[in-house]
Amino acid sequence: MLATIRSATLLGVEGRAICVEVHLSDATLPGFQMVGLPDEVCRGAHARARAAVLSSRLVWPNVRITVNLAPSDQRKVGSALDLPIAIGILVATEVIPPEAVDGLAFIGELGLDGSLRPVAGVAPLVAALRPTTPVVPVGSAREAHGVAGEAVKVASSLHQLVGILAGREPWPPIPDEVWDLDEPVIPDLADVRGQPAARTGLEIAAAGGHHLLLVGPPGSGKTMLAQRMPGLLPTLDAETSLESTMIHSAAGVRLPSGGLVRYAPFRAPHHSSSMVSLIGGGSTFMRPGEASIAHGGVLFLDEMGEFTPQVLDALRQPLEEGVIRVARARAHATLPARFLLIGATNPCPCGGGAPGSCECDDGARQRYLRRLSGPLLDRFDLRVGVQRPSVDELLSPGGGEPTASVRQRVMAARARSIARNGMLNAQIPASALDALAPVDTSGAALLRAQLEADLLTGRGYHRVRRVARTIADLVGADTVGEEHVAAALQLRVRLGVSRRAA
Amino acid sequence: MSRRDQPCPGDPRVEEWCAAALTLLDGWGSSRLCALLDRSSPAEAWAAVVGRHPDAVTDLPERLAEQCRSAGLGVVWRGSPSYPSVLTLDPRPPAVLFTRGDLSLLGGRRVAIVGTRNATSAGRFAATELGRRLGSAGVHVVSGLARGIDGCAHRGVLEAESPGRPIGVVASGLDVPYPRQNAGLWQQVGEQGLLLSEYAPGLEPLTYRFPARNRIVAALSEVVVVVESRAKGGSLITVNEAVERGVPVMAVPGATVNRAADGTNLLLRDGATPVLDADDILDALSLDHSRETTRRVDLRTRPFPIDMAVYRRIVESPASLDQLVACDGRPLPEVAMSIARLEMRGWVAGVDGWWETTGDTLR
Repeated sequence: MLATIRSATLLGVEGRAICVEVHLSDATLPGFQMVGLPDEVCRGAHARARAAVLSSRLVWPNVRITVNLAPSDQRKVGSALDLPIAIGILVATEVIPPEAVDGLAFIGELGLDGSLRPVAGVAPLVAALRPTTPVVPVGSAREAHGVAGEAVKVASSLHQLVGILAGREPWPPIPDEVWDLDEPVIPDLADVRGQPAARTGLEIAAAGGHHLLLVGPPGSGKTMLAQRMPGLLPTLDAETSLESTMIHSAAGVRLPSGGLVRYAPFRAPHHSSSMVSLIGGGSTFMRPGEASIAHGGVLFLDEMGEFTPQVLDALRQPLEEGVIRVARARAHATLPARFLLIGATNPCPCGGGAPGSCECDDGARQRYLRRLSGPLLDRFDLRVGVQRPSVDELLSPGGGEPTASVRQRVMAARARSIARNGMLNAQIPASALDALAPVDTSGAALLRAQLEADLLTGRGYHRVRRVARTIADLVGADTVGEEHVAAALQLRVRLGVSRRAA
Repeated sequence: MSRRDQPCPGDPRVEEWCAAALTLLDGWGSSRLCALLDRSSPAEAWAAVVGRHPDAVTDLPERLAEQCRSAGLGVVWRGSPSYPSVLTLDPRPPAVLFTRGDLSLLGGRRVAIVGTRNATSAGRFAATELGRRLGSAGVHVVSGLARGIDGCAHRGVLEAESPGRPIGVVASGLDVPYPRQNAGLWQQVGEQGLLLSEYAPGLEPLTYRFPARNRIVAALSEVVVVVESRAKGGSLITVNEAVERGVPVMAVPGATVNRAADGTNLLLRDGATPVLDADDILDALSLDHSRETTRRVDLRTRPFPIDMAVYRRIVESPASLDQLVACDGRPLPEVAMSIARLEMRGWVAGVDGWWETTGDTLR
């Protein structure tokens, strides 16, 4: 009258293996009791499992049922435990032979009709269950397959699953749709007319991993440019791909077919986003936020000045460490979040434009810049001015250079920098700049002149040198020359009032 | 208040305090105060007011006296011997003025230089140059000490350590510098020139006080010069006040694409005299400027020929990096080199992604 079934629950982007223990007793009045810190959704398993068992024309035991979710000090979230609870009861009532569930783990939500429904976070759950063979709903097959490969077993209903486990039916094949590897449709740079500076900015950002701030009036194509960035980034390496898959799965974001996130994600949260939605957390299971979903790809913050300062500030940790550590009273989680940040902003509330055309009053302009300024603004290596393309450029036939050819240069530059530094240029520590990114005499003279004229800060100096290194890598130069430094300086727009401002 | 504390009419110091106190009466504008002061001395007027309102704050004159003393301010009122004679016949004169600095400057030649707060660097340069040239010709420059053109004009005057001095008319108490970034300039104008305000110490620069301030700028000037104004800029209020008083209005022309010069260009179309040079203003004042021979030597290294295409494009109108790359035809790093060289040699300056010329334009 006792059964133990393996399953898993989610904390942040990690799965935790757990055991579902079911005990049946006719010594007391019939009833159902679940212990072991289930959350509200998890508690609903009683009703769903009972209806599903009855709908599958099986018997729900009219005895005292105790379900323990072990280890019992850890919070269990979501509906993924419906299936293991139902299976546990069926094993305990000897509908399913106990040896049939050896070496298997179960994940899935039950419909009242006995169907198996997909749940969020199947990828990390399956990963946590290795080397046990996971049994998942058909709808979760692609997520599970991305992590566990061929070992995954699927079923579409409780009735079918009981038939299989009782030895009356074979396991069904994994549906074919898992195998179609479709390439995501990423917009092409050929659609962008003119805007040489912004194009160059994108190329450099992709090649060196530099965070990019696009500064320009509304309608100048900042969003259009940012959306083309993923096409310039390499496909994810095996480790990042797996991490990103876990995150997508845990956040309930649909995974591409094949079950693995292989292309750089692009996330563009709205500026009204809350802290939790952007950074992750929450009271139940530490759901990953947009910053984590962008792991390995691009996080695009349009209208950056409109985000609340607290939310922007919270981005500093992932920008520095590549992870977000969320701590709550009950638990803490480390969520991977290594992304390329692209920010977009107007130069002032009215959108700016050529000097003399700004209509903003003094205070409004300063308040606007103050929201942007500070530590986050410092993290952008590239600050590129974007202006509306001219009519001629808009109407000119044929587009600009397509993504494919820019991408070739980006890949070559990335390979060069990795071979030399072991990392992307944006990550070169200041102390290693002289060794890894030496500047020739004339370039050094230009930097010196800029520093002396107070046009460049100390921090800006290091950033310009890293960007100049990437520009040199893009053209295949070994030493950073004057023209690379000059270009890097031009791609670092000075914000605010001019030095001669009165 | 007991009888012995009653202000004693006739004592000039007491008259001064009472005049200051009168400006703080609710609902008493400058025209009503003028009418009152034309009939009676400030102390009499104050006594009458206090007599009619037994619950009035009666130690106001003393408190203001203390504030003025600690801030080093003087007070002149309509009817007082030091009241500026240029204002005596004004249609809407200020009744009381708080002053800091040298009131005798109002006896010299005075030109107002006013304009937009959001000026282009060309506009700021023009204002600074005009201020400097007028100053060295011995003309005092009247302005509002605002951000942009106003501040630049006064900086120009102060730069030259010239016989011409700055005269600042402001819209807040003289101990409340606004905008704060101009606090240093404010201090300098008070020490080396003259600061005037209609408002008692401690009063904030409220919106309605700026147009009133502009009328005093116009009233104090022999010529009003506008350097960059928007089509609906506050400088145009000064212009209207000047027109009403028969003060000639002159304007510095700007590019038609420059929104900050819309107002000045409209003035020119309506018949204002164009100002291409400080000499034009000196002409209007019938001052001799033929001896002005101290042309400044441009110490900047001339641009390389290869950079001239970029420079000419920026001279044409402020340009973005995109526009410079588009018109030059060379790849971005080379254009960037040109910009860097021009910037280091002081020919151009950049802000918010735009490049503008600085200093005299190379022709």
